[in-house]
Amino acid sequence: MIRTPLRPLARILDARQKGENPDAIERENLRIRHEQMRDKARMRAEGRLLVMAVMFFGAFCVVGARMGMLAASEPAEPRAVHTGASIIASRADITDRHGRILATNMSIHSLYAHPQQMIDPDRAATELAAIFPDLDAAKLAARFNDPKRKFLWVKKKISPEQMQAVHDIGEPGLLFGPREMRLYPNGALAAHVLGGSSFGKEGVHSAEVIGTAGVERYFEDLLRDPAREGAPLQLSLDLTVQAAAEEVLDAGMKLLNAKAAASVLMDVKTGEVISLVSLPDFDPNDRPRPLTEGEAADSPLFNHALQGLYELGSTFKIFTAAQAMELGLVNADTIIDTSGTFRVGGEIIGEFENHNYGKISVEQVIVKSSNRGTGRLALAIGSTRQQEFLKSLGFFDPVPLEMIEAKGGQPLLPKRWTDLSTATVSFGHGLSSSPLHLAAAYATLANDGRRVVPTLLKQTSPQDGPQVVSKSVAEAAQVMLRKVVTEGTASFGEVPGYYVGGKTGTSEKLKPRGGYYKDKNINTFASIFPAHDPKYVLIVTLDEAADMTGDRPRRTAGWTAVPVAAEMIGRIAPLLGLRPDYQLGQLEGVVKVSR
Amino acid sequence: MTWLEYSVKTVPSGWRKILYLNWPLVVLLSAVAGIGFLMLYSVAGGSWSPWAEPQMKRYALGLAVMFAVAMVPIWFWRTMSLVFYMTGLGLLVMVEFFGSVGMGAQRWIDLGFMRLQPSELMKIALVMFLAAYYDWLPNNKVSRPLWVILPVLIILLPTFLTLAQPDLGTALLLMIAGGLMMFLAGVHWAYFATVISAGVGTIWAVFQSRGTDWQLIEDYQFRRIDTFLDPTTDPLGAGYHITQAKIAMGSGGWTGRGFMQGTQSRLNFLPEKHTDFIFNTLAEEFGFVGGVSLLILYVLILVFCIISAVQNKDRFSSLLILGIGLTFFLFFAVNMSMVMGLAPVVGVPLPLVSYGGSAMLVLMLAFGLVQSAHIHRPR
Repeated sequence: MIRTPLRPLARILDARQKGENPDAIERENLRIRHEQMRDKARMRAEGRLLVMAVMFFGAFCVVGARMGMLAASEPAEPRAVHTGASIIASRADITDRHGRILATNMSIHSLYAHPQQMIDPDRAATELAAIFPDLDAAKLAARFNDPKRKFLWVKKKISPEQMQAVHDIGEPGLLFGPREMRLYPNGALAAHVLGGSSFGKEGVHSAEVIGTAGVERYFEDLLRDPAREGAPLQLSLDLTVQAAAEEVLDAGMKLLNAKAAASVLMDVKTGEVISLVSLPDFDPNDRPRPLTEGEAADSPLFNHALQGLYELGSTFKIFTAAQAMELGLVNADTIIDTSGTFRVGGEIIGEFENHNYGKISVEQVIVKSSNRGTGRLALAIGSTRQQEFLKSLGFFDPVPLEMIEAKGGQPLLPKRWTDLSTATVSFGHGLSSSPLHLAAAYATLANDGRRVVPTLLKQTSPQDGPQVVSKSVAEAAQVMLRKVVTEGTASFGEVPGYYVGGKTGTSEKLKPRGGYYKDKNINTFASIFPAHDPKYVLIVTLDEAADMTGDRPRRTAGWTAVPVAAEMIGRIAPLLGLRPDYQLGQLEGVVKVSR
Repeated sequence: MTWLEYSVKTVPSGWRKILYLNWPLVVLLSAVAGIGFLMLYSVAGGSWSPWAEPQMKRYALGLAVMFAVAMVPIWFWRTMSLVFYMTGLGLLVMVEFFGSVGMGAQRWIDLGFMRLQPSELMKIALVMFLAAYYDWLPNNKVSRPLWVILPVLIILLPTFLTLAQPDLGTALLLMIAGGLMMFLAGVHWAYFATVISAGVGTIWAVFQSRGTDWQLIEDYQFRRIDTFLDPTTDPLGAGYHITQAKIAMGSGGWTGRGFMQGTQSRLNFLPEKHTDFIFNTLAEEFGFVGGVSLLILYVLILVFCIISAVQNKDRFSSLLILGIGLTFFLFFAVNMSMVMGLAPVVGVPLPLVSYGGSAMLVLMLAFGLVQSAHIHRPR
C-alpha cells in the first residue's frame, strides 16, 4: 500500500516560501487519511451488511416459498414409511399338545372412581352395592366422600353386563379402564400344572398379568417375550387324557376315602408328561390363598405329584433287582433264601403279614414283594453302589420339571447311609421322593434302560439319555413287572388288551414325631403299559386310602391304588391311540349274531 | 466515543426523548403482538384465558420495560454490558446446580414470582458484550488472531453451558448470532471460510464414512440423525409434531379456514399449539395470506432496525441494533423453518407471538436497547 506522506517535502518548502504555515498541510493530509480510513471501514461494514441483507432476503424467500408450497399442498393422512414389527404386548396363550387352549387372555374392564368428579357419591355407592353384592354401600360412600381421596379402585375385573349396569348409574366420577385378564377356560383342569396368575403393576389403562405359580411362573419371561409375537406355549399335556385321569382319580379318591391323590402319566421315550394330576385341586381362575397355618400339604395348592415326598415302599424293589442283575450278582432265576430271621444293624426285617416265602427266585422276590429278599440283594450290592444307582435314576435331586414348584421336590435321604438304610431303601423305606421321581425312574426301566427326564414341553423326538442299565436287564425287569400283575400283588391291575405291568407299594405314613402310623398308608402303583413294548408309565399314589367294602379295612396298594390305576389305563389308553390287543381266547364268550 | 463526546453532541433530554423514539418500530411490534393475542384467543377456543390475557399483560409490562430501557442513555448500557454478560454466565452456571427441570431439560431458575430462563437473557447479553468489545477494539486489530480468539471464547462459553442443559436450539442460536456479530464487525472473511469449510467437511466425512470400516459414529447415532433430519419416517413418534403441523398448513390453503375455524389446532391434533407451533394455527386459519402478512411484518421490523443501524454513527449502537435485529431474525426464521418442516424441530418460539413470558420480556428489553441507541445516537 502506497501511503501519501503527511509532510511532503516539496509542498512544505513551497509553503514556507509562500509564508504559509506548513502544519496546515499536515493537518489537511491527516484529515484526508482519516477520512479514507473511515470510508474504508464504512465500505467494509456496508459490504458486510449487504451480504447479511442478501442472506436475510434469501431466507425470507425460502420461508415464503415454502409457505406457498404448503398452502398449495393437499393435506394427506400421514403414513409410516416403514412400520417395523408390531409389538404384541399380551401374554402368550398356553395350549396342550394338540393346540387346545389351556390358558388365554380376555379383554375386560376395571372400575375405578374419581370421587372429586362425583355428582352424587351416596347414590353411586348404593347403586354399586346393588350391582356388586360383595361391596358395602356404607364403606364405599365413606371412601367416596373422603375429601382427600382423588382416586380409588372399585373393582379390578368387571364383566360387560356389570359395566353396562355401572354405565346406567350415570355417575361421571365412575370410570372404566381396559385391561386383559388371564382366563383358564377348563377351570380346575390341570390347575397345578398351569399354576395361576395375578395382576402385577396396575394402571387405569392396562394391567400387567404375571404368573404366580406353575408353568405360568416358570415361563414368565417366555410368555411375555414380544419377540415370540404371541406364539402359544405348547405343553406336553393332553387335555382329554388329563380330564379322564382327573375324573378317575377323583372318583377313586372318594370311593377309597383318601385324603389326597396324585397321578403322573409319562411317555417313556420322549419324557413328555401327558397328564399330571394332584387332588384336591383348585380353580386357577380364582386361585385360593396359601394357608397361613397348618400343613402346607393340606392346601389344595399343594402339588402331591411334585411336592409330595413319600416313602414309596415296595415300588423301589424293582430297582434293587435290576441293579443286582446289572452288576451280574444274580439273574432272574437265581434262588434267594427269604426264610429265617433277617437282622440288619440290630433291627429285624420282616415280611408283610409275617409271611415266609422260603427259597424263591429273584423274579418271585419281586412278584411276591419280599422285603427280606430285596434286603439281601441290597446288602450284596452295598451302600455305595446303591446310592450311585439311585442317583443315576434321579432320586437324589429335585426333578427338573418346568414348573416353579419342582424345586420343592428335593427327596429326603437317610442322614447316614448305614447297612440298615441300604436294606430299607431297597424296599422303599427311609427315602422319601415324589411320585414324579418314581415315574422318571420307571420310565428309565421301560425305555430299555436309557435315562429319561420328565418334561412339560411338547417334544418331537425321543430323548437320548445315558444308558443306566443294559437293555437285557431292563427287559428282564419289564417281564418281572408284568408278572406282578399276572401272578402277584397287583392282580387287579390287569386291563384286557393292554398288558399292564407294574409294582405295588404300600408304606405306613411317618408320624411327625417319629415312628409309623399303623392305619395310615401311602399306596402307590407304578405301572408300565403295554408291558412287552412299554410306551407309557403311570404312577398312581393315594394318601390314606382304605377299601372299606370288606369285613375289615384293606389298606394295601393292591386293593386301592391298583384298581384305580387299572380303571385309569382302561380309560386313557384308547385316548392315547393304543390299540387293544385281545387274544382270541378272551373273545370266546362273544357270539356273532346276524339277522 | 466517550460519554463526553456524546454529551457534547445534541441529544434529546428529559421527556422530549419520547418524541425521538423509533415509533414505527413500536407500532410494528404491537401489530405482531396483536396477531399473537388473536391466535392465543383462537387456540383457547375463543377465550381470553388461559393464554391470551396473561400474554397481553406481559406485553404491557414488556412495553413499559422497553420505554424504561429506552430512556436510559445508551452509554450507560455499554458500560453495563460486561456486567450483564458476567451475570448471564453466573446464572447459567447456577441453573446447572439449582435449576428446576422442565420438559426433560434443566433451564429454569425459580425466582418465586417468575421463572427465569438465563439462556434467554444470555442472547441479549452476548450481543451487547460483543458490540461493546468491537467498539472498544481499534479497527485495525479486529482481524488479528489473538483478538479473534477472545470473542470466540466469549461466544463458546455460554454456548457450552446452554448445551449442557441441554438446549441444542438456543446453543446453536447463540453460536450463530455471535458468529454473525463477528462477521458484521469486520473480522476477515478467511476465518469464516475456514470454520465453515471445516464444519461442512466434518459433516461430509461423517456421512461418507457410513457403512464403511472406518465409520466415525455408531449406527444408532446415524439412525437418530436420520430421524432428526427427516422426522417424516416416524410420523407417530419423533415426526408427530411436524406431520400434524404440515397438515395444518395444507388445510389452511391460500386463504385459510377462517378465524377460529382451524380443526388441527382446535381439536388438539397440533401439539404445542400455543407456543412453538402457533404459526401453524395462523396458517391454518388465515392461510398463505395470513402467513405472508406476518412474515412481512417481521421483515419490516428488521428493515427498520437496519435503517436505524446504518444511520447510527456510533459503532456500539449500530452493532447492537444489528445484533438484536439478527437475533430476532434468527428466532423467527428458525421457528418458521421448523414448523414448516424445513429444519429439524429444536424448540424455538415465534418471537412476540408464541405464549411465554421470559422470551417476550427479554425481547422487549432488547428492543428497549434498540430504542435507546436510536434516541441517543450522535447527531
